[in-house]
Amino acid sequence: MPIEMTVNGEARRSAADPMTPLIDVLRDEFHLTGAKPVCREGFCGACTVLVDGEPLVACLTPAALVEGREIRTVEGLSAGGRLNPLQTRLVEHDAVQCGMCFPGMVVTLTHFLAQTPRPSRDQVRAALTGNACRCTGYERIVAAALDVAGV
Amino acid sequence: MSVDAVMEFRRRDAGDKLTGRTRYTIDRGAPGMLHAAVLRAQVASGRLAKLDTSKAAALPGVRAIATAADAPGRVGIGIADHSLFVVDRVRYVGEPLAAVAADTPEQAQAALEAIKVEIAPLPAILIMQDALAPGAPLIHPEWEDYKILLEGGARAGNVAWEATAVRGDVDAAFARPDVRIVESTFRVGRQNHMAFEPRAAVARYEEGRFHIETSTQVPWTVRNATAGFLGVPASQVRVTVPPVGGAFGLKFDVAIEPFAALLAKLSGRAVRLVNSREEEMLTCLFRENAEIRIRSAVTPAGEIAGREAVVLMDCGAYGGEQIFLTTMTAHTLGGNYRVGASRLVSRAVYTNTAPNGAFRACNGVYNTFALERHTDEIAAALGMDPLEFRRRNVLGDGDLGATGQKFEAEVLRPMLERMEALRAAAPPRRQDDERLYGRATTVGTWFVFTGPSAATVNMNADGSATLVTSGVEIGSGSMMQGLPQIVAATLGIQPEDVMVRQADTDAAGYDVGVGGGRQTVSLGAASLQAAQEVRGKLLAVAAQMLDALPDDLVMQNGRIEIAGPNGAGFSIAEVAAQAQALVGPVAGTGASTRKGVPSMPGCAVGHFIDALDIPVFAVHDCEVAVDPETGHVEVLAYRVVQDVGRALNRSAIGGQIQGGVVQGLGYALHEEVSIDADGRIRQNGFETYRVPLAADVVPVEVELYEGAPSLGPFGIKGAGEVPILNVGASVACAVANATGARVQELPLTPPRVLALLLGRQPELDFPHISPRWDDNLLRPHDQPT
Repeated sequence: MPIEMTVNGEARRSAADPMTPLIDVLRDEFHLTGAKPVCREGFCGACTVLVDGEPLVACLTPAALVEGREIRTVEGLSAGGRLNPLQTRLVEHDAVQCGMCFPGMVVTLTHFLAQTPRPSRDQVRAALTGNACRCTGYERIVAAALDVAGV
Repeated sequence: MSVDAVMEFRRRDAGDKLTGRTRYTIDRGAPGMLHAAVLRAQVASGRLAKLDTSKAAALPGVRAIATAADAPGRVGIGIADHSLFVVDRVRYVGEPLAAVAADTPEQAQAALEAIKVEIAPLPAILIMQDALAPGAPLIHPEWEDYKILLEGGARAGNVAWEATAVRGDVDAAFARPDVRIVESTFRVGRQNHMAFEPRAAVARYEEGRFHIETSTQVPWTVRNATAGFLGVPASQVRVTVPPVGGAFGLKFDVAIEPFAALLAKLSGRAVRLVNSREEEMLTCLFRENAEIRIRSAVTPAGEIAGREAVVLMDCGAYGGEQIFLTTMTAHTLGGNYRVGASRLVSRAVYTNTAPNGAFRACNGVYNTFALERHTDEIAAALGMDPLEFRRRNVLGDGDLGATGQKFEAEVLRPMLERMEALRAAAPPRRQDDERLYGRATTVGTWFVFTGPSAATVNMNADGSATLVTSGVEIGSGSMMQGLPQIVAATLGIQPEDVMVRQADTDAAGYDVGVGGGRQTVSLGAASLQAAQEVRGKLLAVAAQMLDALPDDLVMQNGRIEIAGPNGAGFSIAEVAAQAQALVGPVAGTGASTRKGVPSMPGCAVGHFIDALDIPVFAVHDCEVAVDPETGHVEVLAYRVVQDVGRALNRSAIGGQIQGGVVQGLGYALHEEVSIDADGRIRQNGFETYRVPLAADVVPVEVELYEGAPSLGPFGIKGAGEVPILNVGASVACAVANATGARVQELPLTPPRVLALLLGRQPELDFPHISPRWDDNLLRPHDQPT
């Protein structure tokens, strides 16, 4: 039985096996390759997407669990092709290196900043606990997030 | 010609990377593509008795199976000791036995399970001490039959390569009546790169040639090594490289590309092969584990009269990068300080473990740890302040390196002064708690491995330029910032108007690859030369158009004009269009290679380079707090003064320093690799291999030191490699200072620190390193074959 879901505002139907990880449905079936399968054990956060507005690691989320739910991936965070304020600040801070972690970072931090508009530095660092980065040493990502919040 | 390529130019790939549009190799495919998988040995040592693929080949969806019979060649560095598949003998857990391509990944996995394998176990040698024991079984019994690719290294049995550097009379220095001898021993484990994009490739076989899209740092190495394994001319292999999702040295060698290529040829279809994270962990080309013994003869005034060292580096089952790295000890462990006479031997040792490879500041990271801790032990023995000892002894103008290289200019001493100013500007961070506080300042010596690079600049009639090279963007930004800046500055156009072609071995000339801090330097030199040729051609055409002499023209802000106020002129686009109409499209080519600084005659034996073309220095300072209850080390502050020659893009360099230091903090404190009794790497993912997270790190205070001499274009030096160089050293020295314990090993995990604090950490003992330096050598240094 097909699995129905909304992805970035669009109704989608997946023919995948119910236990297929959501990350594979997004990437292989819908060709949304933004979210990255890096560890496939829910540790690195590079595959983070929003499910009904809450961040989830798509590698540990079976496709059947998102039946009828609304999914937003990194591709759906820049309306009309325009960078959101966080993405803009990340560009300004020259934060990006290899870029593999950023789809998850951007999803996590966009959600976090919506929930916590004026965070402390330690709150931002804590919010990034589930998102590993191997290139940047995090500092510019934290600085960009604080900049969005104007703190 | 005077142009300024220094810019604060933001990278053009950031937008796509932030919106998920960038297509790395793992995001790519082709219509009708097959999925590949590799069957890997599950024992560390054994004789392959049977490999039967007939049942697997008959399974649904299976399109091709490749085995050793399909890949007759051997490749390697220095010696060709590595075949693509196990031929007769399994040498490590994870070694490839066969590769399968099928319609789906599940079918490929099912086929692996249907291949019948019988391996008769042989004794496995998992540590260097056992590999070097008298009468140890040979990991490569046929070592004498391997083709030698570079003459000069001593080899025998389980010693894959031995390189020596001897300068001066060390025996005489140690025999001086006024010296005291300080001896130290050190050991470090392996480090996993944990590049987020695993090694991945998509291969096709078209028109009698292989085309491999791959996540690599070294397209030309992949081209040549794939051809070598498969026994075909290298011209039959084309390699292209999409954006690479992290590398750090992991992708500085051929990896899984030949499997995909072979299966594409056998099946006639495009083939995708992507390592699982478990495969990445099992077959990581780690930073090697190493064991070091170093002795110095020092005078009461702190002069280093003599020094000797033995460095053992574990190359794993095949030689690979470690064979080259035996050269590096002379320049890393042999760097930093003025030494009267020295003798150093580095030995790459075979074990039945996964092959090691390259990792950011290869060899330098642990040798700098050893050298700096040894330096602190010397200072303590002399009762001298360690900073004062360094001030007196760091390499300065005219000092000799370990292979007799003469260093130019005072660089490290003024860098130390800068660091002292930084330290003085901020009080030590101490809290009123029970923790033990310490700090340390260390120095490090690195180099840019230049080597051959080629570039072409095509000037387009619309005023833009296209830069064609074999350079790869691995995240460091050199293809996004440094190179377009160099071309734009030379042509007087905006860096946004310089397109940078992704690496394609069919389009651009040979390049060593991105690594060792060379990309912006070597490709930069080639790109500068190519752009200068274009500039000259455009100026000549503009001179005709303006009825002026080329020397009277200025080329800037997108225009070529007669110098002076209100000078007449044309836009560069107009000149380029006119040139295209008159003489055809304008292009320029450039090439560069290493200068090849010689060693002093007789100093270096078995070395791949004699001396350093472009030395790079670093001074780091670290403050730590150690919890005596748990052994946990918190880094409180970190400062870097880095020799960059000239900073083309300060922001880009700053990002490399923050990232490199944090990678070094992981190495220093918690990134640990261990190997179980069966030879299997224990850490199989992010949960068991702990990389630094946001909560672990501090903002690194950075000062760029400019003005040191460099052969690089515009006086630049590579800046991305070196930031990790002395992090392990700085943390280790700071922890030793905080605790008073003799730090001899990294990483400083809480259990290890606690054992040090409780006096339960036994002193290192290396029975396989002879106390007499000469006894460690396969043959005397002065009797090369």
